[in-house]
Amino acid sequence: MRYALIAILALLALLIIAPPLLGTGWQYALINALIAALFAAAFNLLVGQGGMLSFGHAAYFGVGAFTVIHLMQSVEYGDIPFPTVLLPLAGAAVSLLCGALAGFFATMRSGVYFALVTLALAELLHSLAPHWDEMFGGEAGLSSMRMPSLGFTFGSTLEVYYLTLSWVVICIGLLYAYTRTPFGRLTLALRDNEQRIRFMGFNAHGTKIVVFAISAMFSGVAGSLMAISNETANYSVFSTQVSALVVLHTFVGGSTIFFGPIVGACVLSLFTFVVSGVTHSWMLYQGIIFVLVMLFAPKGIGGVIQAHIEQRHALPWKRLAAPYALATLAGLMVACATVFVVQSLEIVLSREYAAAVARTGEYAPYTVFAREWQVFHPFTWLFPVLLLVPGLYLLRRAFARIQTLWDKDDDDDGDIAAAPRELMEGGH
Amino acid sequence: MDTVMQPDVLVIDDLQKHFGGLEIMRGVDLTIKQGERHALVGPNGAGKSTLFNLISGEHRPSGGRIYLRGQRISGLKPEQISRRGLTRSFQITNVFSRMSAFENIRIGVMARHGIRFNLYRRIKPMRAINDEAHALLQQVRLDHRADNLASDLTYSEQRALEIGMTLATGAEVILLDEPTAGMSRDETAYMVELIRQVTEGKTLMMVEHDMSVVFGLCDRISVLVYGRILATGTPEEIRSNQEVQSAYLGEEEEH
Repeated sequence: MRYALIAILALLALLIIAPPLLGTGWQYALINALIAALFAAAFNLLVGQGGMLSFGHAAYFGVGAFTVIHLMQSVEYGDIPFPTVLLPLAGAAVSLLCGALAGFFATMRSGVYFALVTLALAELLHSLAPHWDEMFGGEAGLSSMRMPSLGFTFGSTLEVYYLTLSWVVICIGLLYAYTRTPFGRLTLALRDNEQRIRFMGFNAHGTKIVVFAISAMFSGVAGSLMAISNETANYSVFSTQVSALVVLHTFVGGSTIFFGPIVGACVLSLFTFVVSGVTHSWMLYQGIIFVLVMLFAPKGIGGVIQAHIEQRHALPWKRLAAPYALATLAGLMVACATVFVVQSLEIVLSREYAAAVARTGEYAPYTVFAREWQVFHPFTWLFPVLLLVPGLYLLRRAFARIQTLWDKDDDDDGDIAAAPRELMEGGH
Repeated sequence: MDTVMQPDVLVIDDLQKHFGGLEIMRGVDLTIKQGERHALVGPNGAGKSTLFNLISGEHRPSGGRIYLRGQRISGLKPEQISRRGLTRSFQITNVFSRMSAFENIRIGVMARHGIRFNLYRRIKPMRAINDEAHALLQQVRLDHRADNLASDLTYSEQRALEIGMTLATGAEVILLDEPTAGMSRDETAYMVELIRQVTEGKTLMMVEHDMSVVFGLCDRISVLVYGRILATGTPEEIRSNQEVQSAYLGEEEEH
């Protein structure tokens, strides 16, 4: 517990100190990562803690964004004086109301039907928004300007970053505090067994509405921050991609752990920022990561970290060091092979390359990993195989070894090793 | 039996239930007295679980009335009935599997204290709630398992937890649906003793197939056959009842 606190404080210090040293590109990427983290944490209140999988959480994110844009416009035209720093409060309030209303209907059903109702409600907004100019600004959307408040001009990305950081830290703190309240415990009981809480005297429907509304409220804060950062919002914030992305972040991070979705959102947002600048295939890589996590570590990145923390005293770290290093090396080999093939295909199958071939009549060499490759040279195609085959073999060996070491020191509690066991099934 | 002198706690009057054209309850009349342990027995398909579902509010009756201490409860929702002091356990183990044994009980204690939408206090310093949950855990003899996940408990421990959760809500009338189902002889004896202890001073109604449990634990027995009460009486009366013999008990011995 003490270490966790130190780790969080250290991370916070880093988030405060580092950004001025970075360029605006990275500052902007960090703003987006923080917003994604808050959105995922809010979403996970519903999914991980309440046991209700929503496929339409973009609705509440978007409602928060549009509320703030409207308010910003009013401030800009001098209609209402409203401090910029408190704008997310308005987004939170409106999203809370919308969440309560939508939640009332959606939570009448559970499971697939619940998911479909949430999806339908978000799609309703998504198809309505482009045709409703006054409210959503049509297809172009609405724009506004950040007004100075409390001595800050909010002209620079850095100031927006600190505003975002403050709101995200406060909201994630509140979401964590939520789990420590009686209602937070009831939320977990609801997830485990709705029937039972009814027979214990709790109003299950009422409980679900409150959980839904609070989740929507914090999603609305995330949407508000997005609107403040972009100074614009259009109907695409209601799109299925937004709803799907938060599901992706949450499950890659691990929905069973409070900090899992936050980790997942940060890692994937920054991954996207870095990789999308380099290759068009970034979505493919994101998809590969998602599939691999779901197959080999269903509890997500957070689950893997948690299993290690829980077992830290029982694990033979010294003996694990070698297989972990080997697994990392082998993983890198497999990753290199995959990236090489994907990038080669991306280049060779591109329209530009085809045009060049048609023009010159020959297959020019192309560059991957800072080296030139000939399309029809055998080594070009032997190279990934030489990495992939030994890589997979070593990965398998390393994981088998790690598995043995984990099992050996798994003394009394069989459940804890479940995550790593699932993680390692790929090796067999 | 001094229970005969006690006031009626639960009165069931001409209770009917049909699912489509299928009649399950065909006019059940039954009176449970304050403080008694009442067993409901009967062959499979007699409607015992349906009767429990009707009393506890899972299903709405098609006809007839149910009164708890003179107040009508038929037609109310499960949570409303639970708040009026009647709680049930389930035939299939029905706990919060991903929460600790202690937390399972604590949710019940929260219900008893009416803590339903409390979002502004931490639960850890709530002494009364936590102490009460610990005491109940001790009562069902699971205090050594407090921090284990409910899903990690053994089957009989889960059943004991189930009873603890039912008690935690502070119910005066407790319905137990086959509390010893699937248990070994030793586990059954243990469970019977546990039920006897923890339901002291409360009113108990239970569905049970094990006749030794029924005869050993209960003050009165009702025999339900095809949606009607065939007979109600003390264990001696039921044992010697000819109709019951032929309809149910005799049938059991042939197996």
